[in-house]
Amino acid sequence: MTIIECTRLTKAYQKGDNTITPLHELDLLVEQGDFLALMGPSGSGKTTLLNLIAGIDRPTGGSLKIGGVDIAKLSRGRLADWRSANVGYVFQLYNLVPVLTAYENVELPLLLHRLTRNERHARVQTALNLVGIADRHDHFPRQLSGGQEQRVAIARAIVTNPAILVADEPTGDLDAESAHTIMLLLTRLNRELGKTLLVVTHDSKCAAFAGRTLHLEKGRLIEAKPPAPPAVPHAVPLSAGAAA
Amino acid sequence: MIARRFIPIVLKQVWRHRTRSLLTIAGVTVAMFLFIAVQALQRGVQKATTTSAADQTLVVYRQNRFCPATSRLPEFYMDRIAKVPGVASVTPMKIVVNNCRASLDVITFRGVPGDDLRAISGKWTILSGSLDIWTARSDSAAVGERLAARRGFKVGDSFDSSGVTVSVAAIFASPEPQDQNVAYTHLAFLQRAAGGGGPGVVTQFTVTVDDPPRAHEVATAIDDLFRTDADPTSTKPEKAFVAQAGQDIVEIVGFTRYLGWGCLAAVLALVANAIVLGVQDRIKEHAVLQTIGFRSGLIARLIVAEGIVIGLVGGSLGTLAAAAMVHFGRFSISAEGMSVNVTADARVMLTGLAVAASVGVLAGLVPAWQASRREIAQCFRAI
Repeated sequence: MTIIECTRLTKAYQKGDNTITPLHELDLLVEQGDFLALMGPSGSGKTTLLNLIAGIDRPTGGSLKIGGVDIAKLSRGRLADWRSANVGYVFQLYNLVPVLTAYENVELPLLLHRLTRNERHARVQTALNLVGIADRHDHFPRQLSGGQEQRVAIARAIVTNPAILVADEPTGDLDAESAHTIMLLLTRLNRELGKTLLVVTHDSKCAAFAGRTLHLEKGRLIEAKPPAPPAVPHAVPLSAGAAA
Repeated sequence: MIARRFIPIVLKQVWRHRTRSLLTIAGVTVAMFLFIAVQALQRGVQKATTTSAADQTLVVYRQNRFCPATSRLPEFYMDRIAKVPGVASVTPMKIVVNNCRASLDVITFRGVPGDDLRAISGKWTILSGSLDIWTARSDSAAVGERLAARRGFKVGDSFDSSGVTVSVAAIFASPEPQDQNVAYTHLAFLQRAAGGGGPGVVTQFTVTVDDPPRAHEVATAIDDLFRTDADPTSTKPEKAFVAQAGQDIVEIVGFTRYLGWGCLAAVLALVANAIVLGVQDRIKEHAVLQTIGFRSGLIARLIVAEGIVIGLVGGSLGTLAAAAMVHFGRFSISAEGMSVNVTADARVMLTGLAVAASVGVLAGLVPAWQASRREIAQCFRAI
């Protein structure tokens, strides 16, 4: 089933006297449960595409339907509600709130939902267990390593059980070992929880985890053949709906 | 404004830059202390001078005289005033002050006939001593609680002022502002002890009317009665009389309202500065919150809530400090024998807290609006 449908998707914005067009009439279909890697040189439009799909930016042309909803037509407030329910975003620099503990950071998206304190607690614990960071729940971001911070950020992204996870260079600030661990974690979220996953990366090793790799150049799409996905160990089995 | 579950986030954000927040709160505390002190002054003037339709007390003074030292009326006027239709009672009063000019520490003696004190003291609460002692001893004084507290007088103490030496027989609390800062003595004693006309001469008559709406009519009738006498009179409701006699004080206190506005402007600037700096530090963080689904309106309300917290904490501290100073200082500004009691009552304190919260809201509005209008992607691009 198609979950993301981009038709002649265009994004342009003004920078001084110049009009920048990071995406130009891009067509893309993504099936539910796909794991896509978006690659390309700097300025090719990867992050712009990711932001459009995540609903944090708006296209200037074409249409963008996600789960059948044309998100470009949603009001600012409804788009925020839509993001809260449908998308989890993982940033390159984690972007945790420094004055909140790991637990509180993961709890943040749940504060927007009508849940009791106990219900929130159960969901946060599940998400923290899922990413293997439950023992650090009371640590502040400054007390965590980069890999641990990214795990917390992933827990924050999945705690509302969104259908789509987007990650912008999720391993860009990590050492090779941590990067590998994070990619394994994301892969398992895709395979075992059925999350549709879009990852922007410069790193071909990371892209190798994806089922499908898309190359962008100057705002246009060049699809690569799917590489053979690496073996994913199942040291901590994930159960579908565990983050629900 | 925001759900209770968001309050810990607001508090943590305020505490995030604790030095900045504490300095801001300290500034707000000082400014609100000044604001409440000004409000307490204004409230004192309001209580002492605002007339109402229910006022039934008139003051009969010597025409064109504004000082107790120069207002001299024959005591025998009392009988003629008592016959004016609408007059319920008349009390001749000799007033002696140790300082005619505006001052924070004036001792005012009011000499009244022994029988009249029972009527005057109807609304009093005797805090210590008794009026029986006052009645029994000619040089005794019943002292208002503010004066007693300020000067540390106790029952049995003797004190001297303006050449008058009295013994404290009772200390009382009164709802009437003018009673709280005076010492009531026997009229005959004060006439002898203080000079200024001697026996048979009083400073004023205090008249109660039986029908408050007719007070103005009664006042006119009294003044008409003495218009051609050697000592013509000027009769006014007591609070209007205070407003006239203490005009200097009223004008000065009126001017202090600008000081109060200045304090609020300082609070606004302090809180707004702290909030603006805090918001500028967190442009990316707000973008992240919006990314995970926080509506821009909610982010704006969280920012405004930070302003309210800073305003309320500083405002509460400043208000409490000012109220404590006013309470323990028992300040009264007196002029021409009339007192304005500096009063930080519940109304003043609640006003202070409400103003502090409102200024917090105002201070947060602009940065909150700016933060809520930013586009998420632009915020990430800008960093």
